[in-house]
Amino acid sequence: GFGSSVEAAMSDEEHHFEGADSGASLTYPQQAGTIRKNGYIVIKNRPCKVVEVSTSKTGKHGHAKCHFVGIDIFSGKKLEDIVPSSHNCDVPHVNRTDYQLIDISEDGFVSLLTENGNTKDDLRLPTDDNLLSQIKDGFAEGKDLVVTIMSSMGEEQICALKDIGPKS
Amino acid sequence: MQRSPNDLSQLQATMRAIEVACSSIQMMVNRAEAEATILSLCQSPQPYQACQYILENSQMPNARFQAATAIRDAAIRDYCLCYVMQRASSPEGYVQAKVSAAAAQLMKRGWLEFSAAEKETFLSEVKQATLGIHGADVQFIGIKLMESLVSEFSLSTSTAMGLPAEFHDQCQKSMELEYLKTFYCWARDAASSVTNKILDSDSPVPETKVCTAALRLMLQILNWDFRYSKNGLESAKGKKNVFSAQVGNDNNLSRRSECTIVQPGPVWHDVLISSGHIGWLLSFYGALRQKFSCEGFWLDCPLAVSARKLIVQFCSLKGNIFHSDIGQMQENHLLQLLSGIMQWINPPDEVSKAIESGKSESEMLDGCRALLSIATVTTPVVFDQLLKSISPFGTLTLLSALMCEVLKVLMVRNAEEETWSWVARDLLLDTWTALLVSIESGGETGLLPAVGRNAASNVFSLIVESELKAASASAFSDDMASDYFQASASAMDERLSSYALIGRASIDITIPLLTNLFNERVARLHQGRGITDPTVTLEELYSMLLIIGHVLADEGEGETPLVPKAIQTQHVASGESEKHPVVVLSSSILNFAKQSLDSEMRASIFSPRLMEAITWFLARWSSTYLMPSEETGESNSGSCYDNNHMVQSSVSSKAFLIFGEHNQGKSVLDLVVHIATTTLVSYPGEKDLQALTCYHLLHALVRRRNVCVHLVGLDSWRRLANAFANERLLFTLYSAHQRSLAQTLVVSASGIKNPEASNQYVRDLMCHMTNYLMELSSKNDLKIVAHQPDVILLVSCLLERLRGAARATEPRMQKAIYEMGSTVMNSILIFLEVYKHEFAVVYLLLKFVVDWVDGQIIYLEAQETAGVVNFCMRLLQLYSSHNIGKISLSISSSLLSEAKTEKYKDLRALLQLLANLCSKDLVDFSSDSPETPGTNISQVVYFGLCIVIPLISLDLLKYPKLCHDFFSLLSHLLEVYPEMVAQLNDEAFSHVLGTLDFGLHHQDMEVVDMCLRALKALASYHYKETTVGKVGLGTRAAGSKDQNGQMSEGIFGRFLRTLLHLVLFEDYSTDLVSAAADALLPLILCEQSLYQRLGNELIERQVNPAFKSRLANALQCLTSSNQLSFTLDRMNYQRFRKNLINFLVEVRGFLRTIKILVLFPVLFVCKSVLQTSRIQDPGRILFEKIYPKQVK
Repeated sequence: GFGSSVEAAMSDEEHHFEGADSGASLTYPQQAGTIRKNGYIVIKNRPCKVVEVSTSKTGKHGHAKCHFVGIDIFSGKKLEDIVPSSHNCDVPHVNRTDYQLIDISEDGFVSLLTENGNTKDDLRLPTDDNLLSQIKDGFAEGKDLVVTIMSSMGEEQICALKDIGPKS
Repeated sequence: MQRSPNDLSQLQATMRAIEVACSSIQMMVNRAEAEATILSLCQSPQPYQACQYILENSQMPNARFQAATAIRDAAIRDYCLCYVMQRASSPEGYVQAKVSAAAAQLMKRGWLEFSAAEKETFLSEVKQATLGIHGADVQFIGIKLMESLVSEFSLSTSTAMGLPAEFHDQCQKSMELEYLKTFYCWARDAASSVTNKILDSDSPVPETKVCTAALRLMLQILNWDFRYSKNGLESAKGKKNVFSAQVGNDNNLSRRSECTIVQPGPVWHDVLISSGHIGWLLSFYGALRQKFSCEGFWLDCPLAVSARKLIVQFCSLKGNIFHSDIGQMQENHLLQLLSGIMQWINPPDEVSKAIESGKSESEMLDGCRALLSIATVTTPVVFDQLLKSISPFGTLTLLSALMCEVLKVLMVRNAEEETWSWVARDLLLDTWTALLVSIESGGETGLLPAVGRNAASNVFSLIVESELKAASASAFSDDMASDYFQASASAMDERLSSYALIGRASIDITIPLLTNLFNERVARLHQGRGITDPTVTLEELYSMLLIIGHVLADEGEGETPLVPKAIQTQHVASGESEKHPVVVLSSSILNFAKQSLDSEMRASIFSPRLMEAITWFLARWSSTYLMPSEETGESNSGSCYDNNHMVQSSVSSKAFLIFGEHNQGKSVLDLVVHIATTTLVSYPGEKDLQALTCYHLLHALVRRRNVCVHLVGLDSWRRLANAFANERLLFTLYSAHQRSLAQTLVVSASGIKNPEASNQYVRDLMCHMTNYLMELSSKNDLKIVAHQPDVILLVSCLLERLRGAARATEPRMQKAIYEMGSTVMNSILIFLEVYKHEFAVVYLLLKFVVDWVDGQIIYLEAQETAGVVNFCMRLLQLYSSHNIGKISLSISSSLLSEAKTEKYKDLRALLQLLANLCSKDLVDFSSDSPETPGTNISQVVYFGLCIVIPLISLDLLKYPKLCHDFFSLLSHLLEVYPEMVAQLNDEAFSHVLGTLDFGLHHQDMEVVDMCLRALKALASYHYKETTVGKVGLGTRAAGSKDQNGQMSEGIFGRFLRTLLHLVLFEDYSTDLVSAAADALLPLILCEQSLYQRLGNELIERQVNPAFKSRLANALQCLTSSNQLSFTLDRMNYQRFRKNLINFLVEVRGFLRTIKILVLFPVLFVCKSVLQTSRIQDPGRILFEKIYPKQVK
């Protein structure tokens, strides 16, 4: 019956565990057939969120292929790709970190407080007016704001804003 | 309008005369004379000016009323009727059509008020017209006017008039019982009055138009939804049920073609049957056909089309219009029709040849429609006999010949677009279906007559041939639509079901045929292996598997399907079980499928698409034939058949036991499991195929307990379970498929006899997964590794598997599944924190908990419950702390809308979780005695709801499902635990009330209903408590002072106002009145003085003294009539419902009107005047006179 340890079966994952401390890969291979809507995928070297997956066949009695529609998580551009279902795709490593917003500088940078008390001052404000005003307005109202920074494949951007009450 | 030199004085005189007459009537003096005066106004040729003058100048309401009536009557008479009659020859048909529709509408509006004499006057003009006295043009208009009337009076085609449904019903009834037959006769007479002219003339004559219109009207009348005259005495309702039952039966196999059954009832016998009417119609059409035989286009001219439609319609005549003479009269009727129709479709080969060489197909198609109609109203035996009396062959033989001819044409053409042969094939297939479905459903008749079975098998072999041909032709087409198995199968499903019925009609011929064709193709594949491209043969096999699957077995739709009756009951001369044709065919396919286990064969033959068909077939076939539970098989075959059939059926059933548990069943099951495993393991990335395996095949196997018993004993099954638990390979399946697989494997444990062993089976299956999740969650570097895509994938897969297992909870395995969940509770909270930005994982976490709690909660003991509830609350708090006040930022609007949808899905899951917790209070299987101090579920759920409510924005409530879930939970809570409302903190309390208020004004009726139920519960709780001296909702109900010392009203006062306003002034469905009454009664009782005050205010606001007193009376009745008392029992609620309905009927009309009048006086008047006189120019003129300023 059952006996052998799952560890052996999952040794590959285990491997990533150990080696993942600092230099985590930017992308990981994953079988196209297992990628779901709402997941991530690299299309044309851009990290994308998958908004649509459909499958079809190469010829009636051929093999399955996946058709992905993705949206670039930074630029918002729509990208598409077709990959044989059993082949691997690149899946981007997407990280999101929360910081407290300390200041918005005149020259378009934000000043952030990290968890361990350091500051991070190298992040630019978004250029989109709408996003900009959402951040600036909240800050101007004197709310305590936590911003979520999404980073992937060497790029980063503010992706969410959270009001944690009036500034203490 | 014509301006006569009429002076003012004459108008004044008329006005005065009318005023005098009106007051005489009022005072009951000189009544006759007064009536005559008024009548003279109505009947005067041009009353408009006088009426207009009276309307503008008279001070007397009665006189104005009479003037308005006179205008209306005159409008109908002069304007519409005369207009159309006088302009009969005008070429603008659409103007006439519009005007006659307007006339019909006006007639209908006044229909129930007109006296019989008034209607008579109007109709006699119509009759005169249709008789043709004033020439063909007027005759045509007269018929058209009747057409408009009939369509206006028929419920399905009537125009909305803003009048109650009852009005329309009464009009329909009046039309059906008093006039419809008369109209039919007029139309018939009109048609026959012009036939000679049409037949004698060599050039088109205007009478053709008359005749066509008359035939159309007759058709329209036969299409009437007869309700009242079907049966002299029987109530319309009872009859209707009989009819709808029949429709339900037909729906078993959904039809492509429409075929309505015509049941006008016995009163129509003389007109339609005994008058020789049909003979006339047939010979008229025959004569025309003869006359125009050289002009091909003639078949499609309106006259020919309407004549044929009428003939086809006559074929669907049914019911007690025929006397009860064991169907002889109906048979004669059908025979008469059929002998006329024969020349349209017989001989089939010549007919089809003529169409192929350019003749119009419409007559042939109508012939097919007629056959379909006849098949629908008869049994197969009668159907076949019909033709025998006039020809050497029966109707079934003709049907078969016709179908074969059509299929041949289809095969030659092989056209993609819809050609006549497509349409004809579908019509004829439906005809077969209509005939065979009565046999299949065990209806009145037994088997098809022998000649019919022959015919059916001929047709079936051609069907298979044509499908194979179509398959091979499309093998290389890269048609996206047909690529996906499910889609193509369901698109074909209707057609395949019809094929199956035909195929099953003579299994001794058709099934061996299928076996031969199948084996031929398999042999061809083997011979050509590695030499020729197999694609064409693969596609043919694919198509054959679909056909065979349909012929052999029915779709279970969740139930265990039995061997189709046609197969079970047919006698097959085979002797041994192994030689039963069904067994032979099944074995051929199983043997073929077995070859897919060999990797070389797989690579060269078993394409993913072919495997899809095999998997689908195995699922369908297994549900019916594999290990049938013996008891049910016998009891079923015995119960519904007579002795003769029982013997035969037991022969067949015995043959099928070859796949039973004590025979080959086990080895076949083993084979099926092997094949299923192969599709999962050896077809990487073939999601569609694997979906079929997981959702169809494996689910079908574990659906039956007796199969599970054998499954868990099979090595192949154990290997699958082992691979699932321990091997990496199955992690490459699509994660939702893994969920399904986990569920299937856990369900199979129900086949283990010993419950402890079942639990151990589940533990062994799942423990490595839970261990892995626990280990991962305790890693120090979790925060870093967790976001690696490979880790996310693995965690997602494991959560899906856990969820699948949770969904398989049964009492037998409940313990192991509880342990599985409780060991990972802590890890789940850790993952929720770590993955707070990763929607995909958060959602899986929530869904797992939802499903796990759903399965477990009712079994849990007090201590376990406490643990689970505590865990759920921590989960909710954690989720809330991550998400409250969070705004997603993105330049991509589609990413933002994705984020919103994700939030919606999360919240819906949280609401489901709360609802699942609630069920503990309703159903509890734990061994705790009721006295054991347990968790206070209500408190917990309220607490949970207070966490969730702030996360739900009004924007999110636009998702209908979320909105529905939210309000059903809210109303459930308020209904079951109203006392909790008193304990809510201020913020939560105002949230709850705010949402209730929002819900009351929601457009979804169900939401409003749920809010009303909640209100009822709250108010009745408070009232009952306070009447026995308790506080009830205390300060919440009494109202309170806010910071500024302003007194704010208590909740019941607020809702009493809201609800009163709603029922009196707002738009809502009348279905809600009862629910509103149930909420209103306790609210009134809670706030009696406020209610009095509101009532008085309402009365005071009325300016019109008549309305004032009516309203006062109505309010009085609302709370006092029907012996309404101050208690809240069922009886009293019932009484109040009645009172409220009466109250609303009495006052809502004028209350609302007045409100509108106050707000938009001009609009209102505009609307009402225009409504009553849409086309009627006098009305418009009148309106412009009265309100000249507003118009400008």
